[in-house]
Amino acid sequence: MKRFKSIVLVAVAVLLGAVYVLPAAPAAAQSSASMSIVPKKNYVIEPGKSVKDTLIIRNLDSAQPLQLSLRVVDFTFTDDGGTPKLMIADDAPQTTWSLRPFLNTPNSVTIEPGASKTINIEVKIPAKQGAGSYYSAIVYSSGASAGGNVGLSASGVTLVFASVPGQVKENLVLKKFGAYDSNTAATGSSGYMFLTDKEPQSLAYTLENGGNVTESPVGSITLKDMFGHERTINNVNPSGSLALIGQTRTYTACIKLAAQEVDFQGSKTTTNACTSAGLWPGYYHATLDLFYGQNGNNTQEVTGVASFWYLPLWFVIVVVVVLLGAAYVVWRIVNKVREMLYGPGHKKSLRRRK
Amino acid sequence: MRHRLLRLHALAFIKWRYLWTEEFVALLLALFVFAVPAYAATRLQERGLYMVSNEPGVTTSYTASFRYISPQAIGSVDMLFCVSPIPYEACVTPPGLDVSQATLSDQIGEMGYSILSKSTNHIILTRVPKVITSSDLSSYTFTNMVNPTDTTRSFSIRLRTHTTTDATGTQVDFGSIKGQVQTGTKLETQVPPMLLFCVAEEVTEGCTSTNDTYYANMGQLSADSTLIAHSQMAVGTNASGGFAITANGTPMSAGTNVIDPLATPTASKQGENQFGINLVANNDPAVGSNPEGTFANAVASPDYGIPNQYKYVPGDVVAFSPNVSLMKKFTVSYIVNSRPDLHAGVYTTTLTYIASGRF
Repeated sequence: MKRFKSIVLVAVAVLLGAVYVLPAAPAAAQSSASMSIVPKKNYVIEPGKSVKDTLIIRNLDSAQPLQLSLRVVDFTFTDDGGTPKLMIADDAPQTTWSLRPFLNTPNSVTIEPGASKTINIEVKIPAKQGAGSYYSAIVYSSGASAGGNVGLSASGVTLVFASVPGQVKENLVLKKFGAYDSNTAATGSSGYMFLTDKEPQSLAYTLENGGNVTESPVGSITLKDMFGHERTINNVNPSGSLALIGQTRTYTACIKLAAQEVDFQGSKTTTNACTSAGLWPGYYHATLDLFYGQNGNNTQEVTGVASFWYLPLWFVIVVVVVLLGAAYVVWRIVNKVREMLYGPGHKKSLRRRK
Repeated sequence: MRHRLLRLHALAFIKWRYLWTEEFVALLLALFVFAVPAYAATRLQERGLYMVSNEPGVTTSYTASFRYISPQAIGSVDMLFCVSPIPYEACVTPPGLDVSQATLSDQIGEMGYSILSKSTNHIILTRVPKVITSSDLSSYTFTNMVNPTDTTRSFSIRLRTHTTTDATGTQVDFGSIKGQVQTGTKLETQVPPMLLFCVAEEVTEGCTSTNDTYYANMGQLSADSTLIAHSQMAVGTNASGGFAITANGTPMSAGTNVIDPLATPTASKQGENQFGINLVANNDPAVGSNPEGTFANAVASPDYGIPNQYKYVPGDVVAFSPNVSLMKKFTVSYIVNSRPDLHAGVYTTTLTYIASGRF
């Protein structure tokens, strides 16, 4: 019995010692935080009907399983760009355009290292649902880690848009149009410019969406220089960007587009960027012609005009030098005429008689 | 009154007589009177298109509707299907579209039309020329229309009305109708959009491996030192709209005591309560590194891309790309400073980086 007691005491002592001596490891089981998801889904669903679809999620980590919890949240716009503002708070109110009541997803998914999994989702529109655009986001969250001062967690998002056909309210209003500098806009300033010393590479237009549907306008911009030379931007919304309900959205269009084919994860994809269009300094006039409208609704048209000056510093210097040179030549001619009329060294000015 | 007119005349034509004369102004006004357009085609109103099915590539029915404006005799309607709606631009046939087998199955409003000719992207309706009397909406339904297959671009029907029966001669009215096919059928030739994203203390650029550490220990808070840490994230997408990453989570806290996050880009200052992050290389303190990856589309947000300036506002976009972006790795630097009177405790936070596509 004594021997048994001593064995138990030693075992307890070893256990306690191990607890105190060994380093504190994170309590939670580690999940990978490396994922590949589908960024956007679009559906057209008539009232009373549903759509069943699948989403493929891939665990990019070759060592750890990926454990994700899924939830559906609403979103709106962050600014005049295309970044969604996710309403991730638990008590966030439901928006009028929310797809949450109609969108079913699983609550969680576990994916083995380096593997993919297909999850089923369903969008079911009630029979009496009115026509318009409805959208929400599926958020996939990896678990938060226990330990340390700063815990890290990764989430991916799929934006889900559903269009319910029928008679909708569509109203895009042109707020601004003109030459645009994306770099200036990124700093929080208005990117529009009327006078610039840098060659504009893009034009932009800002539309306010007062309807109850998302809109994706198409059309063209014609840019004309002071000598009447025209160039046309045929695709003014190459990414099919949306103006969300209530959003004032700025769309940019490259004056000259440089398309580049790149290899992304083993497949070819095309990326576009603005490049120098070789504009000469001077005055430019631009006209905008946009079309928008949902299936079964009237096609609406938005038109606008804008102008800008492109005056680089070298051009201003050249103009000033040329003007000064011309003034000098005139002055020399006047002096020559004086000399011819009144002889050399005559100081009398050529003033009109009273 | 006469006195005022004389003064105006004196001001306009005597003082500035070298710039313009009465004769010149008269000529200018005469030019305005005569310089009217030779003809004035107007836009067809309330133009719309209803596609019974807007699945790409399927055979379906189209109903094109519009209201005639000019009260003239109309003998034909020209319907040209193009990618661009702009009438003066070259017409590119929408990929997959075929209206060569179209049949006019119904007409409302201005009637009496039949199909004169049809091809892959062109239909001409003809009738005995008749003056437009009704202001009601007219609509024309066609069956056997094959939808375009490109879901990423809309298409248009360029409409023109003519007095002739074969859509030749001067147009009377014009206008374009926009249509679009959406979703449904998956095209095998298209690569589906993907968004790749990973977060850890250390990650590889392609997200294929991490060091499986999802937290950072920053050490003992002190008014005389700045605590630093870093984490990494890699991201890439083939979606044409690009991506955005937001940083979310409460500021560092211990119970009810909070270390204030920096609301604007601010330099690190010992002895002040500060919590901030940025995504570039810094030397004060020495922490972090610049984004890695050759592709230029993905960048740190301006407020989080200034060396030695730190900021943290929950929900802020910290990195983004407006377009397709190959994989790019960002290193996030964390700094914490504390005042001497900061309440003792273990200050922690969990930051969730959320990567989303853009709309």
